[in-house]
Amino acid sequence: MSASGQRARSGSSQRARSGGIWRVALAIAWRGIHTYLRRPDLFVPSLIFPLVFFASFAGGLSAVGSIPGFHFPAGYTAFQFVFILIQSAMFGGLFTGFTLAFDFESGFAKRLMLAASDRRGIALGYALVALTRAVITLAFVTAVALISGMHITGDGIDVFGLYTLALLLTLVGYGWAAGIAFRFRSIQAGPLMQTPIFLILFLAPVYVPLGLLSGWIHAVASVNPATAFLDGGRGLISGVHDHTALAFACALALVLLFGVWTLSGLRNAERSV
Amino acid sequence: MGEHGNGIEVEGLIRDFKGGVRAVDGIDLRVAPGEIYGFLGPNGAGKSTTLLILTTLLPPTAGSARVAGLDVVSRGAEVRRAIGASLQESALDPFLTGREHMRLQSSLHGLAKTERAARGQELLDRVGLSDAADRKVGGYSGGMKRRLDLALALVHRPRLLFLDEPTTGLDPQSRAALWDEVRRLADDGVTVFLTTQYLEEADVLANRVGIIDRGKIVAEGTPAELKAGIGRPSVEAIPHDPSDRERLATVLHRFGEEAAASSNGVAVRLPEGAADLAEVVRALDAEGLRVADLRLHSPTLDDVFLAKTGRSLEGAADSAEDEHEDAPAEPVSA
Repeated sequence: MSASGQRARSGSSQRARSGGIWRVALAIAWRGIHTYLRRPDLFVPSLIFPLVFFASFAGGLSAVGSIPGFHFPAGYTAFQFVFILIQSAMFGGLFTGFTLAFDFESGFAKRLMLAASDRRGIALGYALVALTRAVITLAFVTAVALISGMHITGDGIDVFGLYTLALLLTLVGYGWAAGIAFRFRSIQAGPLMQTPIFLILFLAPVYVPLGLLSGWIHAVASVNPATAFLDGGRGLISGVHDHTALAFACALALVLLFGVWTLSGLRNAERSV
Repeated sequence: MGEHGNGIEVEGLIRDFKGGVRAVDGIDLRVAPGEIYGFLGPNGAGKSTTLLILTTLLPPTAGSARVAGLDVVSRGAEVRRAIGASLQESALDPFLTGREHMRLQSSLHGLAKTERAARGQELLDRVGLSDAADRKVGGYSGGMKRRLDLALALVHRPRLLFLDEPTTGLDPQSRAALWDEVRRLADDGVTVFLTTQYLEEADVLANRVGIIDRGKIVAEGTPAELKAGIGRPSVEAIPHDPSDRERLATVLHRFGEEAAASSNGVAVRLPEGAADLAEVVRALDAEGLRVADLRLHSPTLDDVFLAKTGRSLEGAADSAEDEHEDAPAEPVSA
């Protein structure tokens, strides 16, 4: 074959590969979302749990907003809402990792591995499921928060930034969990997926700003990337930017890191399905 | 074999798992385009591991395998476009309907949107699931799931079809229907690679059979060749009166050498096969020997397995399971 012929073949093969990724990803996303919406046992808890957290944190602890040294322009409900938003976003990704692990355990993932000409589309497809699940949950939580009287003092761009940050964190949660799911291929790896996310979320300034924490929790929270996410998110909702660039930088770095972690997990699964 | 052929070529294929278990131990095989190849062996013999390698779900530890003229390691994506596969456990989502499975599978394989619904309906009709197409798969019987699995494997019109123990757990009617469908596919030019632990299935369905035991192919050929290769038919007689066993043996030994028999019977190989049977009956009658049972036993693939391994296929299943499971564990290397 001539060099130009080889280039043409290589080009069309490249196009076929990238087309294959999206074709596989969209098919998997369709199935994942379809199943999610059809199963109340998945759908309802993903909406109810954030509301329970929101009601208990923002409602039950609202007096925290009056303690000396606590100054948050948008109020305590908005302060807590950002935590609920970030937690819901990360858990949307995490629970999609659970679904992936279950699909391996049940054997369904073998069908996907067999039918996918480009298997990176499998990882991408579940990522689209995670984002869709997160969008549904975030929209629901936001609606409830607004109905309950939450104030947003940031502008439209700030709010757009807040939800962009949340969706990046969905990808972080998904990337971590998917990497585990691809490696263990069993739902028994569930605790390994969720424990680190629980830890980083609850070792951050959840109820009060970092400045009001003291002792070991202050030391841990100071180096916890979730602190940057919460500070960045709270800055965006209130319009008083705080660590916004750091929050996005950390989120993007983790998306890249866990993207590599997920793809290397996929390679691991390809060797031992 | 050309790049666009639809045969299979395997050379020196090896697959090791953690713990030093060698599930596939240097097998060579060739499957011609349009052939139904039966891969027969007990549980744990290496059948499913071989199939997982050929379908690109597991890389080999050593050796090479080409499917449709394509190397399964370096050109896995192209192999997957050329093949269809129905694995041992029907990998189905209980919350999707049969029709939704067809839609998912045709989307994964990149069928044009305009073609998807028609192709799905055509295959659902073909496997007799049209009436159940809009029911969730969680409510399907085992036979229905296997048929849907077969239909899903055919969505993209594969040139080769891999079936891993396709009739395990099916009732005789469903089994016969699936055999008919496999024959029809082979008539259409599809190469079929079928693993089975059922002797009858390999005997009735396959053009050629490879018998695998402990990761090695111990015999290969058409069912008729394999059976002819191990000897002539035998006759077994069970005396009506157990005390006549010695006299019965003396009479039967006039016709040929002794063969394996049940504990209270006597069996000998017949040089002329069934043609000697009338003579055997006359000799027994002339000696005044009454028999409780008289059977002509033609060689089966189980006899072939017995002759090649020293064990019966049914018995081998249990001992092989004890040694190592066919289901893959973590790889040693890839």
